[in-house]
Amino acid sequence: MDALLLARLQFAATASVHFLFVAVTLGLVTLLVGLQTAWLITGNPRFERLTRFWGQLYVINYVLGIATGIVMEFQFGLNWSGLSRYVGNVFGAPLAIETLVAFFLESTFLGMWIFGWHRLRRGVHLALLYGVALTAYASAFWILVANSWLQNPVGYEVRDGVAHLTDFSALLTNPALWMAFGHVVSAALLTGGMLMAAVSAWHLTRGTGDFDLFRTSLRIGVVTATLAIGLVQSFGFAQFGAVGAIQPTKFNGTGPDAEALVADWTARFGPGDYLPPVLANAGLGFMILIGFGLGLLWLILPLLWRDWIIRLRFPLWLLMIALPLPFVAVILGWIAREVGRQPWVAYGLLRVDQAVSPIDPWLMATSLIGFTLLLGGLAVTNWVLLARHAAAGAADPALGRPPTQPPADDSRTEPAFV
Amino acid sequence: MELAWYALLGLFFAGYLVLGGYDYGVGLLLARRTDPARRRAALNAVGPFFLGNEVWLVAAVGILFGAFPVLEGELLAGSYPAVLGALVGVILVTVGVQLRSRPASGWARAGWDRVIVVGSLLAALGWGVVLAGLLQGVPRHLDGHVVGVTHLFTPFAAAAALALVALVAAHGATFLTLRLPAAEADRLRPLARRLVLTAAGAVGTAAVVGLSSDRVRVAAQRPAVGVLLAVGLVAALLVARTALGRRRDGVAFTATATALALPVLLVGATLWPYALVSTVDPAASLTVTEAAASAPTLRLLGWLAVPLLPALLGFQAMCLWIFRGRTEGRALVYW
Ligand code: HDD
Ligand code: HEM
Ligand code: HEM
Repeated sequence: MDALLLARLQFAATASVHFLFVAVTLGLVTLLVGLQTAWLITGNPRFERLTRFWGQLYVINYVLGIATGIVMEFQFGLNWSGLSRYVGNVFGAPLAIETLVAFFLESTFLGMWIFGWHRLRRGVHLALLYGVALTAYASAFWILVANSWLQNPVGYEVRDGVAHLTDFSALLTNPALWMAFGHVVSAALLTGGMLMAAVSAWHLTRGTGDFDLFRTSLRIGVVTATLAIGLVQSFGFAQFGAVGAIQPTKFNGTGPDAEALVADWTARFGPGDYLPPVLANAGLGFMILIGFGLGLLWLILPLLWRDWIIRLRFPLWLLMIALPLPFVAVILGWIAREVGRQPWVAYGLLRVDQAVSPIDPWLMATSLIGFTLLLGGLAVTNWVLLARHAAAGAADPALGRPPTQPPADDSRTEPAFV
Repeated sequence: MELAWYALLGLFFAGYLVLGGYDYGVGLLLARRTDPARRRAALNAVGPFFLGNEVWLVAAVGILFGAFPVLEGELLAGSYPAVLGALVGVILVTVGVQLRSRPASGWARAGWDRVIVVGSLLAALGWGVVLAGLLQGVPRHLDGHVVGVTHLFTPFAAAAALALVALVAAHGATFLTLRLPAAEADRLRPLARRLVLTAAGAVGTAAVVGLSSDRVRVAAQRPAVGVLLAVGLVAALLVARTALGRRRDGVAFTATATALALPVLLVGATLWPYALVSTVDPAASLTVTEAAASAPTLRLLGWLAVPLLPALLGFQAMCLWIFRGRTEGRALVYW
């Protein structure tokens, strides 16, 4: 068994699960901010109910974002100790900033938001949600600064075989960064919007009651997803230019630039296979296909006029069927980005085989299997709970339930003597 | 500069043990509570603080990576099984607490509660072994790598792990006497006193096992400081016991919190100026300065930390303040 392969598989597995959840987090929190702001401004109770219902789903989804995120953070040290040894001076900085600027505050704010209903003034409670949203975007930004540095190392110099930071601003103007940030954020908005539209569509086709409520969230979801797909496509095509220029071996590893680079690497690092696996780009094509497919949202958008989207029914079915597509696309996109930089962990600077920890393969395999089963199992459980709560509708979400009101979801008495 | 960052790392990890410690302590106590309403009340006493507690660990690891990259790689990879155990524990608790009340059925909730118990146990055991592993030195070779995992399986590591379990259990029980409605607190206090005494015994045992271990004696650069801090730890627990007897729950909680922070100080101060002491080759020991990131990185992070730290601690303090006091009256039930 090969510890390197196992470590790569483990990163791929945990990162993929992490992203399936954080994409929803990032998208939904943006919509929640809108909903709760609307509630504060209009005082319309429908917006309160919308905030509680979607907030409940958001909070359940959030659980796995934390669980998988913690595994990822530790994984750098556990399986990739060469990364911290050789490039930790540079790569570690954005990660440290992320944990302090983003996660620390995000979780603190979220805890207060969940337990702050009926206790804090409305403005303060809303401000907390803004805090959660801002820090979530900050976390996506700083993690992408770190990732973009791996894609295109800048702002450093190598002394005694170790990279040292020379220019932090170069990390922020990294050509690998901004288009990716735009693409990731709009993909997250697309995912959140699609989720909102599809769940609302389900309730509307089933006629579960609450027509007005789900009509509103259907419209919000469709509009968000439609605007987002436009952005996803634009930033996506822009990536080809930005990334292609700095990583000639990525998209078509056979051009003259790529050959020159491979010759240079062979001279500096010795002979080796410096091209990513051939299949690395297969997923990319499929993602782009999905991207064009979801472009059909522009045809659905006009049907919001006079509720044709609901009266015709089939658009609702389309939205439900299409729900898995953004999830598939985000994973394919990431795999293309990450596999496409092979065999480097930091492009042109540090190979993956130099970065992997000298861990006994059996131990690494135990960890891979253990975490895959654990996180996979938790992910499925989490989705089941999400689906149940989505289906239960907005009658009585536990989130924001007044302390005096007995829970309707619980047939047995368990008052918890508050 | 390195010292300041080392202290900050210690602060965040100690903060995690104090705050996450009572989460795990409350988690462990779920093992004995058969009454579903009491279990739920215990978790809701942790309630608004829960998400903000575990994130101290995330921040500690972030600082470890940013400011001490070499230490990060060697410490985590060199304590692989212990860190894995702790990590699985942290995840089970995180997920268990947040999801246990989402299903409505009683049996599913009881099942999640068992997950929380197991997770709390694993987390405490795992961090106990990591701390003990630092104190007894690691087989770091001259090439910079820590090789093997068997160095973790020693009587001292086992004793330290059990001591940490006892500590968090005592801390959790003390936290509940502080947070639950007064009548419930009265019921719990005798248990908390017993647990505090058990913890003092467990810490004493671990200290004796440690003093009789050759590896610990060799690794310790300042054994006197270590012994002094261990005595201080036991003393803090005895203070907690007395305070509980006088129904001074706030004082008792402060004392158990101190007891959970002290192990971090103990490890850091006993090993200073080293961060990792090698058991195979003294030349391979890693000083704090060697473990630290280079100056430009530390300077950058320093500029960031100066305005940020007050904000981070301020918002946590705001959370404590808003939700202070006992969970009587109109507290929200969510977990
Ligand atoms: C909803 C999801 C989604 C959809 C519909 C698309 N993408 Fe995408 N794509 C992502 C989600 C995504 C992603 C997961 O967010 C990635 C991974 C890394 C990144 O920056 O974004 C990504 C990566 C990624 C990359 C790789 C960047 C690199 O290797 O560094 C390219 C070139 C594109 N995308 C281009 C496109 C184009 C031209 C699309 C359609 C017209 C498209 N994407 C649709
Ligand atoms: C969350 C979305 C992400 C997904 C789905 C993802 C996916 C992957 C995959 C598939 C691999 C294995 C590549 C291979 O071995 O061929 C990988 C490796 C890796 N990724 Fe990511 N990645 C994500 C984000 C990130 C970010 C943000 C960072 C850095 C901050 C990062 C750092 C790494 C590292 C260090 C490796 C191991 C070295 C390597 O194999 O290149 N990843 N990731
Ligand atoms: C582009 C890829 C990524 C994005 C957009 C992203 C975004 C997020 C967001 C929004 C959260 C908040 C929790 C949640 O939403 O459920 C989160 C949690 C987390 N992420 Fe990521 N993440 C990415 C990749 C990574 C990587 C590579 C790491 C490893 C260092 C990581 C570590 C974490 C940790 C430790 C948490 C938990 C923080 C807490 O306890 O609150 N993430 N991530």
